[in-house]
Amino acid sequence: MATMTLVQAIARTLDEEMARDDAVVVLGEDVGKRGGVFLATEGLQQKYGPDRVIDTPLSEAAIIGAAVGMAAHGLRPVAEIQFADYVFPGFDQLVSQAAKLRYRSGAQFTAPMVVRMPSGGGVKGGHHHSQSPEAHFVHTAGLKVVAVSTPYDAKGLLKTAIRDDDPVVFLEPKRLYRAVKEEVPDEDYTIPLGQAVTRRQGSDLTIVYYGPVAPEVLQAADELEKVGVHPEVLDLRSLMPWDKEAVLEAVSKTGRVMIVSDAPRHASFASEVAATIAEEVLDQLEAPPARVTGFDTPYPYAQDKLYMPTVTRILGAAKKLLDY
Amino acid sequence: MIKDTQRFEPFTRDPIALVNEHGEWVGPFDLDLDEEQLRALYRDMVAARLLDERLLLLQRSGKTSFAMEAAGHEGIQIAIAHTVKRGFDWLFPYYRDHGLILALGVPAVEIFGETLATRADPAKGRQMPNHPGSKPLNAFTVASPIASHIPPATGAAISAKIQNTGQVVVTTFGDGATSEGDWHAGVNFASAQGAPIVFVIENNRYAISVDLQKQTGSENLAVKAKAYGVPGYYLDGMDVLASYYVMQEVIERTRAGAGPALVEAVVYRYGPHSSADDDRLYRPKEEVEHWKQRDPLERYRRFLERQEIWTPEWEAELREAAEAELARALEAAEAAGPVPEVWMFDDVYEEPLWPQIEQRRLLEEELGA
Repeated sequence: MATMTLVQAIARTLDEEMARDDAVVVLGEDVGKRGGVFLATEGLQQKYGPDRVIDTPLSEAAIIGAAVGMAAHGLRPVAEIQFADYVFPGFDQLVSQAAKLRYRSGAQFTAPMVVRMPSGGGVKGGHHHSQSPEAHFVHTAGLKVVAVSTPYDAKGLLKTAIRDDDPVVFLEPKRLYRAVKEEVPDEDYTIPLGQAVTRRQGSDLTIVYYGPVAPEVLQAADELEKVGVHPEVLDLRSLMPWDKEAVLEAVSKTGRVMIVSDAPRHASFASEVAATIAEEVLDQLEAPPARVTGFDTPYPYAQDKLYMPTVTRILGAAKKLLDY
Repeated sequence: MIKDTQRFEPFTRDPIALVNEHGEWVGPFDLDLDEEQLRALYRDMVAARLLDERLLLLQRSGKTSFAMEAAGHEGIQIAIAHTVKRGFDWLFPYYRDHGLILALGVPAVEIFGETLATRADPAKGRQMPNHPGSKPLNAFTVASPIASHIPPATGAAISAKIQNTGQVVVTTFGDGATSEGDWHAGVNFASAQGAPIVFVIENNRYAISVDLQKQTGSENLAVKAKAYGVPGYYLDGMDVLASYYVMQEVIERTRAGAGPALVEAVVYRYGPHSSADDDRLYRPKEEVEHWKQRDPLERYRRFLERQEIWTPEWEAELREAAEAELARALEAAEAAGPVPEVWMFDDVYEEPLWPQIEQRRLLEEELGA
């Protein structure tokens, strides 16, 4: 058992998976010699060589597209997109090729690949280093989507993603890369996709979240406890598939729910969860489902900390739910 | 060692041709294919042309929604099928390649199955006509978005190189594809990696209605290879023998470790872009007629006649055989029956996730009611 940051857990997991399976290769901009701009691939090229840790041209279409062909040809590529904001030149490769290869070929060809990308704000990066684009991927049938928030989950879910036979978009909250340390077991373990984890047990209201907003959500939950409100807090961890059963169960128990995410509100993943709750357990609700999200603006630079759901905003939403 | 066997130079001023319009061999070396190889090229070109006609007929008779003609492309397509190691090398074709797919060895019943969306389609009726694929023959299932298969083709070639398999990847696409960012991304990455891949442009001069002059300011498409540091061969793709010899040399050089190559095969499509297009809006009839004079089948027929291989009797015989085989395949494809409605929920993922399971149940209720 070692204590490590989220980004160290990613690097460690890639190392373990590359050692376990020769078919696992890593490719992306600066992933080799540099070890990745966030050091998520640190030391891998020295250990496994330039054929398995490939410094690519500066082209997201080439990175994701080549990963599709490698995967179809028998490798298990793990592609890194330097920032989730830069995935869009490679978006067609995700949508038209990776997501549809199994379907359009009748499962003759498949794309067992992972596309890792640091997402979310809170790092003073402005709108081209701060976005949370998960809704685009969840909206694309054929992709699986993971959004971790802890080192422990990062290891277990990245292993699952690499071993999965479908393309997985793996979102890493860049603001949490070094913000949290926790003990991560040395042994090989996996966490199934589509399984939420309960971070706090409570009976008064449910807070559903994933990814970069974890610190604010957990702090707000602590504040609520101090005033005698017991929130049930669920970290979804994976968004496609997502743990509908756990969400509906928690909501049915508490009768009040908010979904917290730093992505813009319209057509967001938070909206999907809210709509599902309203459709399926309306009779269990004491108040309308609340969304606490980013704003429908590009991610601003100067107001970096205000764009993300703040503790104040989460507590405000909680008060509204409780007062309804 | 590679140098010794090199017959062709990249970046020629004119397209490389070995047989002139009269069917005369004008190559600078002696023809070294045996009679059976020469016959097979013709047989496959005729079969491709007949398949093309059949597919169009299926659209015109309302049996399918769509057709894309490939008449005029047979020279390069059949040459590729005869120069790759079938079922070993990988093909990343595009939507006008049904002749190539057939010659590669994909059973015609699968092509018709795909056209009619019956159970004979290995892809289970998921795509519109002209989007075949075959795992047994390593023919990557066609996708519509132009040039989107180029980076995956490069990825497969890099994989072949990493794993030292000895395989070559051949990818085909039209002239319009060379304007896409994905095309640049794929060629550039392949070049940087020295990946074993041959990029083949089936340049028919039109991307639907947009002619080559509006597509690029380059003098031709082969020269684009220069910027990537790879050889670019300018080829008469309506000359099946030139296409055969150039592809053979380029594929084997690539297999031997020479890195990627680009081949611009100059062809012409006699028909419109697709059954949804009207080519009279953008090109004169005389131009089409002019190119038909260079027809790959007719030119090669004249050549075979001069070689005393072709006879009218043989022609009748091989047409009859090809027609009969296509008719049998079509019948089998139709007899397989339509794909079941609920198949639409399979193969989204390895196993359906809960949204597919729930939504399949909804559709079943709707269909049951």
